[in-house]
Amino acid sequence: MEKQFYPEVGETLYRTTLENGLQILVLPRSGFSKKLCYFVTDFGAIHTKFTMDGADYNVPAGIAHYLEHKLFDMPDRDVTEEFATLGASPNAFTGYDMTAYYFSCTEHFQENLRLLLEFVSTPYFTEQSVAKEQGIIGQEIGMNEDNPDSVLFELLADAMYENHPIQTPILGSRESIAQITPEVLHACHKAFYRPDNMLLCAVGDIDPKEVETIAKELLQDIPCPKVTAQRQWEEDLTVKTPYVTRSMEVAMPMFQLGFKSLPLPDGDAGVRQEIIGDMAAEALFGESSRLYLRLYNEGLIDASFGGGYETIEGMSMLSASGDSEDPQAVANAILQEAAALAETGISQEDFLRMKRSALGRRIRGIDSFDSTCFRLCAYHLSKFDYFRFPHIYEEVTKEEIQQFIKDVVTEKRMCLAVITPNKEEA
Amino acid sequence: MIHTIPLLPEIQLRCFRDTRFKQEGLSIQFVRPMRKEEAALNALLPAVLLRGCETAPDLRDITLRLDDLYGASLGAQVRRVGDYQTTGLGCSFMREDYALAGDKVFAPMVAFLEELMFRPKLENGIFSEDFVAGEKRNLLAAIAAQRNNKRAYAHAQMLKKMCSGDSFGIPRLGEKEDVEVITPQGLYAHYQTVLKESPILLFYVGAADPQEIADLLRPIFAKLDRAPVALPPQSPFRDCGKGDVVEKMDVAQGKLCMGFTTPITLRDKDFVPLQILNTIFGGGMISKLFMTVREKLSLCYDISSTCYGNKGIITVSAGIDCDKDTAVRQEIMRQLAACQAGDFTEEELSAAKQALLAQLQSTHDSPGAIAGYYTTAALSGLPLTPDAYAQAIEKATAEDVAKAAKSLELHTVYFLRGEK
Repeated sequence: MEKQFYPEVGETLYRTTLENGLQILVLPRSGFSKKLCYFVTDFGAIHTKFTMDGADYNVPAGIAHYLEHKLFDMPDRDVTEEFATLGASPNAFTGYDMTAYYFSCTEHFQENLRLLLEFVSTPYFTEQSVAKEQGIIGQEIGMNEDNPDSVLFELLADAMYENHPIQTPILGSRESIAQITPEVLHACHKAFYRPDNMLLCAVGDIDPKEVETIAKELLQDIPCPKVTAQRQWEEDLTVKTPYVTRSMEVAMPMFQLGFKSLPLPDGDAGVRQEIIGDMAAEALFGESSRLYLRLYNEGLIDASFGGGYETIEGMSMLSASGDSEDPQAVANAILQEAAALAETGISQEDFLRMKRSALGRRIRGIDSFDSTCFRLCAYHLSKFDYFRFPHIYEEVTKEEIQQFIKDVVTEKRMCLAVITPNKEEA
Repeated sequence: MIHTIPLLPEIQLRCFRDTRFKQEGLSIQFVRPMRKEEAALNALLPAVLLRGCETAPDLRDITLRLDDLYGASLGAQVRRVGDYQTTGLGCSFMREDYALAGDKVFAPMVAFLEELMFRPKLENGIFSEDFVAGEKRNLLAAIAAQRNNKRAYAHAQMLKKMCSGDSFGIPRLGEKEDVEVITPQGLYAHYQTVLKESPILLFYVGAADPQEIADLLRPIFAKLDRAPVALPPQSPFRDCGKGDVVEKMDVAQGKLCMGFTTPITLRDKDFVPLQILNTIFGGGMISKLFMTVREKLSLCYDISSTCYGNKGIITVSAGIDCDKDTAVRQEIMRQLAACQAGDFTEEELSAAKQALLAQLQSTHDSPGAIAGYYTTAALSGLPLTPDAYAQAIEKATAEDVAKAAKSLELHTVYFLRGEK
């Protein structure tokens, strides 16, 4: 395996690509008990249109998540129980643009790794088990419908986007998941769980060679069909609907603001844009900004307020959310402040301080196994070598941040979603 | 390796020296009795302290100072440990080794913490009226927002009902009406009492030498005018009667919570078997509750049990269809009966033990988990080091676990259901 040391963050990363295209990353951490391993596919809720070996597919919304649930089934075996016997806790999540399966353990790493690779690469679906899952996922959809944070984001995404599939919830709807059959699940598994669309990443006191050997042994012979998925969507930077609201069982009005911006390019340029977006959010309404202090002192925002730059394949947005009695006033204040910042600029002193702070927080974040493993995977899929982030911080200029604010934080790109409390019964 | 250093009377420093992390953490906790009269005051206090001190008089000044320290983070910490409530500040910051040559992080961070904690911005000798009013609004919003997370809300409502005669029924952040009546004078007077009387726990995790930390912190606390009052020991659950509750709300999914009591607390030798029992019963993804109620019967999306060792309480909480409460409830009792009859396999027992051991072993892999384990152990009187704890887990037998299960008794059932 190729070995690389990153002096700025004091980490050494091993990487290799198997002949069949499977990529492997290992971050050894000696002296730690915990071992964490992610097996990730570059396939998420938004990838519902694709061609495979010449045939076109348009699969039901929510399939990536459904597949994630069903992959835990194996003929005559209980995967969760086997992990538990090996002292590991397995789990998985489906995002808009990736799906990850992972386990953490302190003992039996090799056996757990084998089990992870085996179950994720063994599709096994019966009519009966697929039908039964409808009940379980239906409950999960119900739980989401009662969760104001999810509802708020889904409202916002639907109002902002014309074509990007982020308009549809990751879980899909009760109607869309009713159309899922074993055949569709098989097709998606074949299309997206092929080794050259996947990444294996392990963090802990682990021998990198051992990970490579096991992956070779188990995944060598899996075929890779020719697949092209839709990964870009025609999207105007003007929002579809500027304001959307709903009432729910909440204590206080909650809002989320989104400003549409361009999708990230791959590689260094993409991470640079992400860092610019994050710093723009900080400069505009972060805790170190003058606007934050003023809105907080005026009582228009409270400790729940926060924001940042959200990126998903094919889209990105600057976003801010929180509780407020007057969300429209917060939105207006942000627009005004953006115009003022674009005019006067960010001082060099503020800029350097923000950079130092963001860099220090990222370095501290490396201590966390979960966040580091996730970031290594997510950035690797966008073709960026994560531990190079200190270099990108060094290169970013304040002019880029000012330009970003000027371009993105404008009224026509803005959408405001609000959840208001249900009216008290008379 | 944990070092416990008594700094001054009723002021203890615990240091966990570890060079593996890129960060260091330091917290200052004042330990209070959990009482309705002061729960809201204790919850509000650190939030007001974080609004401004003499040298950084507003929120922005504070953030700028933290940004200069490579984005150090600083937060209010308000916790419940059995009959105690802790209130204080905690910070974590990047190790100086990663800073530009000549930049200091550790010493200025400690100095800043001291300023925030002991030299708050005052107006006419008391807390600023604006700060107190603003943080009251935040706290009231946080209390009201507990309704937003239906699972946590249902769980809190159940505990409140079940523990109406025990400190465990007092909400960690206090009640709305107790927050509303707080004045800047009242809060400032309470702050003086806290500084003077409360036992103080300091916790450091990071690469520095514990003796150096002690030498740095001792003079800061020696300046305080102290007359410390020791706290009464932790007490077991105090029962004030049973009774079930149904609450209606506009929700798609119902939440069923059940509270069980046991005379076993974490101060007893039978506690480890009780924890194993909790894991087999509802603690993980292969627990009896998860495998039957969710996987086999598809009666819910999520179901789990939690063990509160300080009080000897185990709770079960499930997200279910609103018309399935009777069926789910019966199934939960059936699974408990199975545990009580010793009806679990060698594999279930071994998996539960391994899950607990893995959790214990990985405690030392995260600065937050290290601080959490040792602080909670110290406050609740847990007589076990992680090693002794691990040995007790390995030694526990199926009979010990069944015996712990038999000690459980259903106390309160709470059901949050839709209006239709």
